[in-house]
Amino acid sequence: MRPVVVAGVGMIPFERRDEDSLMDMLATAGLNAMDDAGLGDRPVDSVYVGNMASGLFNHQVSVASALVDRLSLLPAAADRVENGPASGGSAIKNGFLAVASGFNDVVLVVGGEKMREVIGPKATDIVACMTHPEVEYIYGLTLPAMAGMFARLYMEKYGVTREHLAMVAIKNQTNGLLNPYAHIQMKITMEGILTHPQSHINSPVVADPIHLYDCCPVSDGAAAVLLTTEEIANKLKKPLVTIDGVGQATDTHTLQERSDPTDLKAVTLASEQAFKMAGIKPKDIDVAELHDAFTILEIAESEHAGFFPKGEGAKALERGETQIGGKLPINPSGGLKARGHPVGATGVAQVVELVWQLRGEAGERQVKGAANGFSLNFGGFGNNVLAFVLRRKS
Amino acid sequence: MKTITAYKCNKCGLVMYPYHDRCLNCKGRDFKEIAPTSKGKLLTYTVIEQLPWGMDERGRVLGVVEFDNGVKALGLIKDDAPRIGMKLKVNWEPVREMGGEEIFGLTFEKTK
Ligand SMILES: [Zn+2]
Repeated sequence: MRPVVVAGVGMIPFERRDEDSLMDMLATAGLNAMDDAGLGDRPVDSVYVGNMASGLFNHQVSVASALVDRLSLLPAAADRVENGPASGGSAIKNGFLAVASGFNDVVLVVGGEKMREVIGPKATDIVACMTHPEVEYIYGLTLPAMAGMFARLYMEKYGVTREHLAMVAIKNQTNGLLNPYAHIQMKITMEGILTHPQSHINSPVVADPIHLYDCCPVSDGAAAVLLTTEEIANKLKKPLVTIDGVGQATDTHTLQERSDPTDLKAVTLASEQAFKMAGIKPKDIDVAELHDAFTILEIAESEHAGFFPKGEGAKALERGETQIGGKLPINPSGGLKARGHPVGATGVAQVVELVWQLRGEAGERQVKGAANGFSLNFGGFGNNVLAFVLRRKS
Repeated sequence: MKTITAYKCNKCGLVMYPYHDRCLNCKGRDFKEIAPTSKGKLLTYTVIEQLPWGMDERGRVLGVVEFDNGVKALGLIKDDAPRIGMKLKVNWEPVREMGGEEIFGLTFEKTK
């Protein structure tokens, strides 16, 4: 396999975007990545679009074909990649393979979702369509409810408290204030979301023990990366950041069939693969973007990915090690919690953030001297997980 | 009482629910259909305050129950004070209305 460079990255701010269609968002993010790379009028060989549910949210399908038309990239190959909340990560993996294998030289990957076209409970229902139709969905199971059942066990087993969960929310929303692309631009305090007697008004129960401030918002947004070879990237203008490791693993559809439901096996396996391929270890990572769709997941993933032993993630958080300026900053972008989680966009947005960090272009939230980055995109409830290791080429 | 169908692998004995075309443990393809026993214990649960579109209700308790014969399944827990490990007995009742039709599923209540 030949090295794959992320030559360009682009995003649009995640928020509620009533004025834009899904296609407007995908096209703008895609153009931003092409322009960031300085691609000019050079051809693109193929386009992958990560999107979970445009048919259900926006009554439009075949969005990859529509995108190449919008961007005048015809006759480029075009595919939509659907893998639940890991659609973005899967789209990047496909683009990576296309370049690494020599099949393509220039690939555009765009992830996007427009979720706010429907009302909140409808969005909850659409997202719940990834649960098992006969043994989960019929009971009204939601993704926050899966997180609730998982959190109850994880908290008991490892001594994670609601205060730890709130620390994740506060850290990520503090980081989000430094990210102009983040949906949630609001400072929160421990008092306001947890300790004040009236805090339940701000942060009501969604699916106990998961409260509102433990959940990512429902957002519209898109993000894009332009992948190419070293040879072509050297003719473009940006410092080289390469995708050195890719990992992906799956786990059972339902939580109840996991022998230990607190063990996120697919996170461990995907991360191990990505590190092995990159030839580096978790301790070599300078910055990580984890999939904190729920606060408990940032803690659990930081352990399963190998950054901390089981049960130590919450302690590292407590010591401030995962803040910007700490030993391993996690989610300097604000994560899904603050940046937002337009499902198909997330896996791509994580890689965009890493590229900004590794190039030293992350502005006020820059992790100083970051050279190695890691991202984890968590599909379903951990039944399909992708991990990436990115490195700045010295 | 009508109930769910779980599957026991004829080769290695693994109990599975829902159905898989090959055994999750040994890849075997022959299964014996088994019914869960009438009682079990609560492994984990949540109380849902924000339900999907079409379900006008708050405080719905869902949980995973392990039946005495090893079958594990999600169901509706009819108890205001659920706790992990509590003993439950199973019923088969409407759990949701979809498209004007009542969908039946597992419900659980505390054993006396
Ligand atoms: Zn078997």
